[in-house]
Amino acid sequence: MSRASPKVAVIGAGNVGATAVYYVAEKDLADIVMVDVIEGLPQSKALDFLHAAPLRGYSVRIVGSTDFAAIAGADVVVLTAGVPRKPGMDRMDLLKVNVNIAKGAAQAIARYAPEAVVVVVTNPLDVICMVVLRESGFALKKVVGQAGVLDATRFRYFIAEELKVWPGDVMAMVLGGHGDEMVPLRGYTSVGGVPITELLEPEAIERLIERTRQGGGEIVKYLKTGSAYYAPGASAAKMVEAVIKDEKRLLAASAYLRGEYGHKDLFLGVPVLLGRGGAERVVELALTPEEKQALDRSAAAVREGLRMLDTFYRPGGEG
Amino acid sequence: MSQVSILGSGNVGANTAFFIAETGIEDVILYDIQEGLATGKTLDLMEAAPIRKYRNRLSGATDLGEIAGSQVVVLAAGRVRKPGMKREDLLQENSRLVDELAPEVARLAPEAVVIVATEPVDPITRRFARRSGFPRNRVLGVGGCLDATRLRFAIARELGVSTENVSALVIGRHSDSMLVLPRYCSVSGVPLTQLLPAERIAALARETAGAGDLIVQMAQHSSAYYAPSAAVADLVDAVHMDLGRVLCVSLLLEGEYGLRDVALSLPAVIGREGVRRVFLPHLSAEEQAVLEHSARELAALAASSGDSEGRGGRGGAA
Repeated sequence: MSRASPKVAVIGAGNVGATAVYYVAEKDLADIVMVDVIEGLPQSKALDFLHAAPLRGYSVRIVGSTDFAAIAGADVVVLTAGVPRKPGMDRMDLLKVNVNIAKGAAQAIARYAPEAVVVVVTNPLDVICMVVLRESGFALKKVVGQAGVLDATRFRYFIAEELKVWPGDVMAMVLGGHGDEMVPLRGYTSVGGVPITELLEPEAIERLIERTRQGGGEIVKYLKTGSAYYAPGASAAKMVEAVIKDEKRLLAASAYLRGEYGHKDLFLGVPVLLGRGGAERVVELALTPEEKQALDRSAAAVREGLRMLDTFYRPGGEG
Repeated sequence: MSQVSILGSGNVGANTAFFIAETGIEDVILYDIQEGLATGKTLDLMEAAPIRKYRNRLSGATDLGEIAGSQVVVLAAGRVRKPGMKREDLLQENSRLVDELAPEVARLAPEAVVIVATEPVDPITRRFARRSGFPRNRVLGVGGCLDATRLRFAIARELGVSTENVSALVIGRHSDSMLVLPRYCSVSGVPLTQLLPAERIAALARETAGAGDLIVQMAQHSSAYYAPSAAVADLVDAVHMDLGRVLCVSLLLEGEYGLRDVALSLPAVIGREGVRRVFLPHLSAEEQAVLEHSARELAALAASSGDSEGRGGRGGAA
């Protein structure tokens, strides 16, 4: 089997996974495999994408499968499989279900795509990253979680809307986890190079940060029966692109820390250089004392999640 | 101001907005009767704008008044199929929706070109034209152009060539009785009939006719929406940019092939005013018979859905 183009596997054919696939296709980035356990779902979406190919002009191959073997040789694997939290489900119930899904997926990735970089989207993100790392036995930097890119794109859009500027001209860096654990870096957030601190009053910035914190919830509130998938899909695709094209892009992602920012042995949302090797380097930026404190709080939340994980999880065995 | 309004924020409506965001420049208003749905989806899309470098504005609306003055209105509202359902099973319910919306669109956006994506597309296109009072050139159904992209995919796969090089012509009814015209299908200008034996072409035509059903069956909880949305976005662009694209759309016939008072897909030149001109491919007697059969079925369907002011069929001899 000869294959000239790179290959991306997306595990989980729900809205986020499918939308990520679409973004990858639209940029003709790589051949794509979608895998899901629900028979018919990945196949139907792949076929629908292919039917649109003549109109949209993409020429990548797209395959849907319920067999993990289809991911063979993937350069990047995006893990979106998992269940969202449903009413009546506590954090622990959710954790158990998604850890189990991640376990099976990570073992399959290790077996069929041993050279891949894994981009984890499944929540709770930092904990699932750890499970994927342990189950795959991959090098630390080959497992990376999608965190700050999504928060940053939302923050960027809200700033653009506030200032009536083009969203593409706004840059932002957001560390930590989603929601309360989010750590926006004001000093590294700018419009055409001008720091937002020079363009917006502190209260306005605070308001936009708060909106970003609640960004996922705001969409759920509107949709009622669903959650966001366009911005999350775009964020995942952005990370895929950075890996496939070896862009060494500086962006925030969940990466394994070995002392950077004063933390070790956990995944945390920090600035990384993302390229073909994965999170090739953790970049240590100067943080204000408040930002450092907020990042520490985020790390504490991750540790709490890892403690929950340890109450039931042992690496290896059946996924 | 020139603007595109999409009525219905389900999968086809939202993904049409998505495709327009990806490649178009049109500002989009996404409307849905369900509070929050359109706003949520457009907000999600705009939150992707910094990454995807969108150049247009997308916003949600629950007030139909916001479509006022639109240059293009897409009808993507209504029920979609579940496994085992035929497109016609949606007619009753979706017709009621048209009866509500068409007069409102005519009032709010009297100059608009309307693109109909609601199924069953041919009867809904006819009904929308009648209820809105719009001239037929301004009510276009997403029929043959969707069937054609599916056929192009199948031909490209069969021959191992890029889909870009394949053009295909599918006319008639958006259903099992769609009419694939193999001698009007080509690969970089070479007629398909010179590249594939008749029985392979027939197999690809059957595959195309069943493509929508297959996706409904596999997906279980939804019908296809990526290809349909891409087809709608193409039409929107053709109108908005006045491109003069030649695409197959369902439109009310006025004597073409001896048929009238029925909407079927024919190749048409699409520009700012909607359908600028209709091309009439030469049909064999057999193909003509298929079109006439479709027209009779559609006339019967219209009668059964309480919409039988017309006679349908060839030359009115129903």
